[in-house]
Amino acid sequence: MTVNTRAATQASRSPWQIGIPLVWLLLLWLAVTGMAQLEGFFRLFEPDVRSVIYSRVDFSLLLGRHLFVVAIAALVTITLGLASGIAVTRKKGRDFLPLVSQLASMGQTFPPVAVLALAVPVLGFGTLPIIVALMLYGLLPIVRNTLTGLQEVDVGIKEAARAMGMTSGQILRQVELPMAAPVIMAGIRTSVTINIATAALGATVGASNLGDPIIAGIVNGNTAYVVQGALLIGLLALSVDSTFEQVQRRLKADESPRNK
Amino acid sequence: MIELSHVTKRFGDEMAVDDVSFKVAKGEFCALVGTSGCGKSTTLRMINRLLEHSEGEILLDGQPIRDFDAVQLRRRIGYVIQSTGLFPHWTVARNIGLVPRLLKWPSTKVHSRVEQLMHLLGLPVGEFAHKFPHQLSGGQAQRVGVARALAADPDILLMDEPFGALDPITREKLQEELRALQSRLHKTIVFVTHDIDEALQLANHLVVMRAGRVVQQGTPLELLHHPADKFVESMLGGVERGLKQAGLTRVADHMLPLSPTLPAQSRVPSSMSLRQALSVMLRDHTERLTVVDPHDMPVGELSMRKLIREPKADQGHDREH
Ligand SMILES: Nc1ncnc2c1ncn2[C@@H]1O[C@H](COP(=O)(O)OP(=O)(O)OP(=O)(O)O)[C@@H](O)[C@H]1O
Ligand SMILES: [Mg+2]
Repeated sequence: MTVNTRAATQASRSPWQIGIPLVWLLLLWLAVTGMAQLEGFFRLFEPDVRSVIYSRVDFSLLLGRHLFVVAIAALVTITLGLASGIAVTRKKGRDFLPLVSQLASMGQTFPPVAVLALAVPVLGFGTLPIIVALMLYGLLPIVRNTLTGLQEVDVGIKEAARAMGMTSGQILRQVELPMAAPVIMAGIRTSVTINIATAALGATVGASNLGDPIIAGIVNGNTAYVVQGALLIGLLALSVDSTFEQVQRRLKADESPRNK
Repeated sequence: MIELSHVTKRFGDEMAVDDVSFKVAKGEFCALVGTSGCGKSTTLRMINRLLEHSEGEILLDGQPIRDFDAVQLRRRIGYVIQSTGLFPHWTVARNIGLVPRLLKWPSTKVHSRVEQLMHLLGLPVGEFAHKFPHQLSGGQAQRVGVARALAADPDILLMDEPFGALDPITREKLQEELRALQSRLHKTIVFVTHDIDEALQLANHLVVMRAGRVVQQGTPLELLHHPADKFVESMLGGVERGLKQAGLTRVADHMLPLSPTLPAQSRVPSSMSLRQALSVMLRDHTERLTVVDPHDMPVGELSMRKLIREPKADQGHDREH
């Protein structure tokens, strides 16, 4: 969740590192398609129940729904987060800077469960309340990192850009955003990764996704189900997170480190 | 030609620049000097409209700068700052080509212009074109900054303490190069510095500022000879004013024909500044020096005794630029 990931990774790219996301994706695919093959393993958790492999809904379908919810939320949060982060760092929007940073941090102090509890009466059961909860929850890291990234751009560089005769749009697109990109990317990564885990809560309000086996497992006292849901969510989060990591590395290697 | 007349800049209630007037003729090198916070940078930044002036008039070739579109205006004016302001995510070549690209020059023309400028500033293309700013030394980065400012061949160059962050040797080297560059390119330059020696060496018009106002302006020698008040005098080095003055004239302007007596052992080139020659006298414990031409042939002599008998003031010759 830290804003500053700049100093952390030295951009050294070996084929081995690029392979990491592929390994996680492969494991995820194997788990989705071949969970039934692990029956013997899950039997260890629950020797006595009739079924140890969650089978009410196909895992691939649950994964698809899970991804759908996270993707919709990510699309909205990235658009909204970037837009508001950019808007309040412009001259015209500067008055709203404190307001926006406060709203964004409030979004995260609000527990997602509480958001769900409040959203259900208004939006009904299903996918919509969880998407709203994920949007609120995922907005903060993106807004905050967009703000930090843009504000960290050296004033001397911005002044030089203006003095050379760049328009404000050119400065934003050619100077500020490229320079802030690694920090913004870190925010997006945090937001999406958190939301992959948080989305499981959707199962409690009738949004079927990888949270289903977990909830079903808790309700029926079937630990094997819980483990299956958690395993899939974990592998999904690792796949997405390591993919983002590679993108971030690439951004940092392209845009060589700055020393000022 | 740049002309400021009765220009004022207020930040809230604070007068950062107060009724400032000066003219910089085409091809002239004007230095703004003064203590920290006296409004030098503010004055400079009003000229390319990074800041809008509150009152008065700023004219470029006779036309008020408010008549121009600010963005277009800035593309016609080179700007160099102490922190260089190079884009860290762009290579040296891309940084230098910025303004030509903004002006939509064809890419082949941008490319050849960038190479031309890198040559001009002593940056070998093969070695530097693809480096990033963080891979450069301070001096190299500042050269790139100057190249970027010159890229679209602007008539006017604004420089805000461009060499302020460099070590003395690099600074002197770049000053020398800027002087040489100026004698070839004849830009109209406004140069901010608080290094008085730098101002004296480079400028042919000096504007001394204090608390937002111009205290005195004129050629370096005029100011050295007739400082308006104690402040200007101390700006100009106080007691060391004599030496600074000597620094502005050359040995050739003071030498006498070779006397029939034995020539002095110590030799100095005629192009040396009088200040340096005096230093040689002190070092060698001699009051006479033999002046030699570039081929080391004696052409005259310099005598301390004769020097101090020269008529006082206004006799110096302003250094050619
Ligand atoms: N954007 C600004 N807003 C408010 N006040 C400013 C601004 N820019 C400059 N000032 C004030 O105007 C005065 C002149 O500043 P300026 O930067 O022109 O000084 P300077 O002569 O360049 O000093 P230095 O040699 O330290 O660079 C200072 O008192 C400064 O605090
Ligand atoms: Mg300044």
